[in-house]
Amino acid sequence: MSNGNAATAATPILQLSDIHTYYGSIHALKGISLEVHDGEIVTLLGANGAGKSTTLRSINGLNRPRQGHIRFQGRDITSVPAHEIVKRGIAQSPEGRRLFPRMTVIENLEMGAFQRKDRSEIKGDMDRVFELFPRLHERRTQKAGTMSGGEQQMCAIGRALMARPKLLLLDEPSLGLAPIFVERIFDIIKQINEQGTSILLVEQNALMALEAAHRGYVLETGRIVLADSAESLKTNEQVRKTYLGET
Amino acid sequence: MAADASVPTLANRFQRPSVVGALGMLVVLGAAALLLKNLTVSPSRFFEVTLIGLTTGCVYALVALGYTLVYGILELINFAHGDVFMLGGMFTITYSTHFFGLHSGQGFAIVPIVVATLILSMLSCGLINAAIEFVAYRPLRKAPRLAPLITAIGVSFIIQDVGLAWKGPNYVTAPDVFPHTKVFSFHGVDYGWNKLIVVAITIPVLLGLLYLVQQTRQGKAMRATAQDKDAAAIMGINVNRTISFTFMIAGSLAGAAGLCYSLYVTTVRYDQGFQLGLIAFTAAVLGGIGNLPGAVLGAVLIGLIQTWNEGLPWHMPGSDWTQSIVFSILILILVFRPEGLLGERTPEGG
Repeated sequence: MSNGNAATAATPILQLSDIHTYYGSIHALKGISLEVHDGEIVTLLGANGAGKSTTLRSINGLNRPRQGHIRFQGRDITSVPAHEIVKRGIAQSPEGRRLFPRMTVIENLEMGAFQRKDRSEIKGDMDRVFELFPRLHERRTQKAGTMSGGEQQMCAIGRALMARPKLLLLDEPSLGLAPIFVERIFDIIKQINEQGTSILLVEQNALMALEAAHRGYVLETGRIVLADSAESLKTNEQVRKTYLGET
Repeated sequence: MAADASVPTLANRFQRPSVVGALGMLVVLGAAALLLKNLTVSPSRFFEVTLIGLTTGCVYALVALGYTLVYGILELINFAHGDVFMLGGMFTITYSTHFFGLHSGQGFAIVPIVVATLILSMLSCGLINAAIEFVAYRPLRKAPRLAPLITAIGVSFIIQDVGLAWKGPNYVTAPDVFPHTKVFSFHGVDYGWNKLIVVAITIPVLLGLLYLVQQTRQGKAMRATAQDKDAAAIMGINVNRTISFTFMIAGSLAGAAGLCYSLYVTTVRYDQGFQLGLIAFTAAVLGGIGNLPGAVLGAVLIGLIQTWNEGLPWHMPGSDWTQSIVFSILILILVFRPEGLLGERTPEGG
């Protein structure tokens, strides 16, 4: 937590200023501004369709904003094509996991490191992913499409880690997982963060997300309606009512 | 019926497949009996025709792989592919005779000429195919799937017209340079060098392709793009460049096929690609569209079926019926086993 405070003064690693993104003719993001600082876990909360995944797709280049700017480590990446973004240091475990179903776990992990030049260190990184997710090691020669939802989720996170990102975008890492897996995944998210990777986390499970995150933003229909530290959001009455299921 | 179907008893579940299976079995058995009879009537003829069928199948395989590669990555049936193959034949004739002065009776001097022509022809067709994708299909990437399909048919006609304008409406002849002397002669079965050369060109190209797709970085990018384009992009794969590359590979295979065909059959005409393309497409579907080994298997089978039909002596339907037979196979496969012989039944279509 200490480095989270220290970093707030410096330039944020990721900065979105007033971005507007469209899905076809639908105005999905109506001026989103947010920041992720070095070493932070930042969470985006909001109902279905609020624009959480669209925000991630704007950052990774799959759905380019029509207005506004995205800066990563001080450099403008708004119009950088998707396949260049990962080279800059942003990796993603996308919505719906999006593994390569007819490739094995090992091949999927290798794809995560596709753009890396340091071939020799990839093996070591794969061992580290297997350390985080021993289950993946058991399944390493299995086709990704034949694994359970939880295993696929681990593989998707592992694949993103293989890029050695400075910033990790996680979209609904707990979706469809058994409760025991959810706890495990969040432990691992914290562990990854402690090893120095900043994380932008989109999550339906607001309680778990706020437990793990340093700060959070609340989105409603394409706009940010609340931004605060995770501690304050947890005690915020509106958040408690809408996202933590209290009456 | 509805009440019956809702009860998943063993008998119920096997009822429909068994009728279909029995019919299919009957057709296959009938064909096998006919072949067996032919084998007993004239074994030497049978084996000779089979060897010709394998040679034809090799040429089909090169073309069928192009269909399957492009389908695998874009889910587009590139109807212009057969015409790119036709251009390959035209390029072969132009390069070999006009540039390198190829003519019959040159002995071993043909080897470097054929190799150089092969490389040039593959390159030309590869570049043309990539250009077709860039001009005709890429702008339609986000359009409904019917749009690029119709465009592909349009491109097919355009290329035929280009061939017509370039070489005219008549058959263009290539010099007959592959020696017809026998590689071996066994109990009356003759196997000529001209057939062996076709196989000898095809097999290294096929192995090269397999290596490329399975082992190289570019091949991995191709497989990833075929399975999920967005996911491939966030892995750092340049999806558009990978698609261009795939079209280039498919085109160069068509170029190699064009060389084999034009030097083996020695005639090429502007509309030949369309027909052979449809046959090769059938082969790709038979093996399981999108599946590389499947395309080769399907092509060899179609090549064999065609030459058996045309070449065997005892009560075969003959060449008038070749197209009917080939396209009947296409229809039967699409109805009863749309995933093909080697295809997997997956939600994304294998």
